[in-house]
Amino acid sequence: MIQLFHVSKNFGGNVALKDISLRIRKGEYVFITGPSGAGKTTLLRLLFGAERPTEGQILIDRINLNRISRLNLDLLRRRIGFVFQDFKLLPRKTVFQNVAIALEVIGERSALVRKKTHQMLRAVGLSKKEEAYPLQLSGGEQQRVAIARAVVNNPLILLADEPTGNLDPDITRDIMILFRSINLRGTTVVIATHSRELMRDTDQRIVHLSEGKLVGD
Amino acid sequence: MRLRVWSYYFKHAWNNILANRLIHLISIGTIGISLLLFASFLVLFLNLNSWIMDWGQSVSMSVYLEDGIDQKTKEKIEALLKNLPGVELKGFTSKEKAFRDLAQGLGAHSGLLDGLKSNPLPASFELLFRDVNINQINPRKMKDEIEKIQGVDEVQYSKEVLERLEGLMYVLKVAGFIIGGFLCLAVLFITTNTIKLTIYSRREEIEIFKLVGATDWFVKIPFLIEGAIQGLLGGLVSLAVLFGLYSMFFLKKVHVIGLPVLNIAFLPPDYLVSILLLGLVLGLIGSFIAIGRFFEF
Repeated sequence: MIQLFHVSKNFGGNVALKDISLRIRKGEYVFITGPSGAGKTTLLRLLFGAERPTEGQILIDRINLNRISRLNLDLLRRRIGFVFQDFKLLPRKTVFQNVAIALEVIGERSALVRKKTHQMLRAVGLSKKEEAYPLQLSGGEQQRVAIARAVVNNPLILLADEPTGNLDPDITRDIMILFRSINLRGTTVVIATHSRELMRDTDQRIVHLSEGKLVGD
Repeated sequence: MRLRVWSYYFKHAWNNILANRLIHLISIGTIGISLLLFASFLVLFLNLNSWIMDWGQSVSMSVYLEDGIDQKTKEKIEALLKNLPGVELKGFTSKEKAFRDLAQGLGAHSGLLDGLKSNPLPASFELLFRDVNINQINPRKMKDEIEKIQGVDEVQYSKEVLERLEGLMYVLKVAGFIIGGFLCLAVLFITTNTIKLTIYSRREEIEIFKLVGATDWFVKIPFLIEGAIQGLLGGLVSLAVLFGLYSMFFLKKVHVIGLPVLNIAFLPPDYLVSILLLGLVLGLIGSFIAIGRFFEF
């Protein structure tokens, strides 16, 4: 599903990633871990096509991101969900509207947008808060809205960058259960985190980065 | 699918106008004023042009006779003038009548003429040529021919004034293009900046649209529609204000000392549609420039 071949990324003179080769199979659940500045966010941004590698090749579902056109990158992003630490929700739109955006941009019929959005909000336990605005929700609820938006399209891959960084331990556990359930439905999940708590009892694959290099898998 | 997406674009554009209504109101007002200036200029130009065209259909001519010609020569000249194509002989003014008319015209200052030892004014025939374009009458050529008649001193015709006015119309036309060009640039500038502001106010939303896989055009089209609506509404405002002013001042004939002198016509329907289209196209181009400069992600 995801293949990296000798990928490096420099920002000016700073090396963010160096010679990373990695393969993540369809349906895998992977943690990318390492201290702050290790290159976790850069790696996710490369997988999302928000950045291009300085060297090396990245293949997502056999599509080479180095050669992809802008339009095809937009279309590919419809198959990749992204969850951010700061949620990136629109404060002036309701919970329902925030999630529905992901379906509206692909030109889905309104009836189907309503149906899928309702279903997804029910799945993340927010069916009673559809008409609420993000700032009326707790941090954990906001993150669940962001996850609902990321997966409402049934993406092939779900990327999450420090998704529990702003949340307390109980809510963190709920969010991780949600990610696991999404993974069990067949979505490849890649979570970047520096939290050791998250990986303490996990039997999932963990990829370690340090100073832009792959130091453990 | 296509209809659904377009209805989404329009809904989105309209919601965006409502969300940024103050910016848009100011912008629509400013576009309206720019287009109003342009439309007012068009009203002036079209009416002047129409008067000149009407006026140009007939030419009046004064044929001044040499002093001291006998009655026989005068009658001979009169007979020749009557035979000219499309002519109407309006009358004869003798030297004495010309002098009396001048004294009457001077009114209280007629005493100025007392010092004259002899009457310097010539006798003249007044001619009128109707439908000069239809009858293919060339006033300049006609003037030259009449001046060749024995006993005729000089010929003056109204078309000389008309030709000067036509020159003025040409200057007005050039000025119109220059003013119109500047006003169009102003409308473009206003629209570009308004759309830039609305893009800026929605940058978070745009970022999220792109994150969930919206194509560039999916994000851009509502802004283009927004600019076009803005231009169109600006055009409507300009025409509404212009019609209001026209109704107040020009719907009846303008009277000067009780005499109807001006009959100002409003813009014809094709010009009204053109102004609306101009607003729409300028709005569209303005927003196109704005999105071109903004969407570099």
